[in-house]
Amino acid sequence: MRKSWLLALVCFALLVVGIAEPRPEILVFGAASLTESLEELGKSYGEKSGTRVVFSFGASSDLARQVQAGAPADVFFSADTAKMDALERAGLVRAGDRREFLSNGLVVVVPSDSTRRVSNAEDLVSLPRIALADPAAVPAGIYAKKWLAGLGLWERIAPRVVPTLDVRAALAAVETGAIPAAVVYRTDASTARSARVAFAVVNGPEILYSVAPVASSKNSQAAAAFVAFLAGPEGRGEFTKRGFVIRGTVQR
Amino acid sequence: MRADDFSIFLLTLRVAAIATLLILPLGIFAAWHLARRGGALRTLLETVVSLPLVLPPTAVGLLLLEALRTHGPLGRLLDRAGIEILFTWKAVVLATAVMSFPLLVRPMRTAFEEIDPRLLAMGRSLGSGPVAVFRRVALPLAWRGTLAGVLLAFSRALGEFGATIMIAGSIPGRTQTMALAIFQRTHIGQDEGAMRLVAVTVVIAFAIVWTSEVLTRRRTQRTAA
Repeated sequence: MRKSWLLALVCFALLVVGIAEPRPEILVFGAASLTESLEELGKSYGEKSGTRVVFSFGASSDLARQVQAGAPADVFFSADTAKMDALERAGLVRAGDRREFLSNGLVVVVPSDSTRRVSNAEDLVSLPRIALADPAAVPAGIYAKKWLAGLGLWERIAPRVVPTLDVRAALAAVETGAIPAAVVYRTDASTARSARVAFAVVNGPEILYSVAPVASSKNSQAAAAFVAFLAGPEGRGEFTKRGFVIRGTVQR
Repeated sequence: MRADDFSIFLLTLRVAAIATLLILPLGIFAAWHLARRGGALRTLLETVVSLPLVLPPTAVGLLLLEALRTHGPLGRLLDRAGIEILFTWKAVVLATAVMSFPLLVRPMRTAFEEIDPRLLAMGRSLGSGPVAVFRRVALPLAWRGTLAGVLLAFSRALGEFGATIMIAGSIPGRTQTMALAIFQRTHIGQDEGAMRLVAVTVVIAFAIVWTSEVLTRRRTQRTAA
């Protein structure tokens, strides 16, 4: 009896000890819309440089808050510039380190077998519900709100909004078939399995991502090198392949 | 409490109450049978009933989501019948009901098990059928356990988060309970508003734990006397 207790204790201790860091690694906080492309780039960068790149994906607003609360992120990749501005004001990112070269577009998605007529922004007003990444904070939702407000439709659409944690959750809500439409990035739509693009948003707001090493990083060299890699030819190639748009260097 | 806080509070109480009432008959039935029947079947049933207690709530949420999505096995039937569940208040009730069920059943089962079987046999020998014995003998003897189960299930329902957000989302005024609102407010930077709700939940939790404490203490004193 006593022996089996001891064995259990040893096993548990081994379990705890097993959690140790093997190689140098950097932690990248990335906007949910970047999931596939960053994972791909992180893998190829890891093979090339020997630096392991691990990720935490989510709404840029959540990630920015976590960095401000002291999360040990080495790189932050936001889907808008506002969250990066906030980190810069908090002294967590240096203005000169920011790279802003990536853009995207908005589309309206519907369940694959939807029979509703959804072909322009006006049609959204007739839907009972529409999923958006929370327009109170999350970039994708803020862009969508800006677009609809510009058309004078926001007041009528706001009561129908199902706010979600991030843009991928808005897409997932449509994929269940229970929510008739969502506004997501063009690049998200191409990851969908049971949703399709009803129409692409034209003349939407300018979408600009922002990436920078976090100033408090303990691996600042590795972080800066990874950011340079993302902004370099290989990074740009991968993003373009996934449907993102590369902007010329934006002067700030 | 502000008006919007109060409506979140009311919605939370309402769905938790509906969920608890909904699972009560099935819970009593399950507890009664689990307390009586022996063998491997009972162990299997007991394990299945307890699963939501041990599984990650998001796992339960995903299973429900898969079943209910428009092309899922249940979703298809419901869709044909014109019943909408996902992302409505009904989804909140469903998620909290499933997650609370084991907490309802366990204390009730223990209470039924503690009943002296001779009392039940006596009831039967006096000419009562099994249903009458259950209603007139077992249930009155096990009422404290039943109440404890109801309180536990209700408090679990008040705080359910993981399964709820998966199948009901967090829609203000419709599916957003206190647990979800605390999360959503923190996530959009309204920490103060989130803290107000936290205060409300502390008061409710205190009241519930206090009540169940008083109930158990009375039982102990009576047993001692």
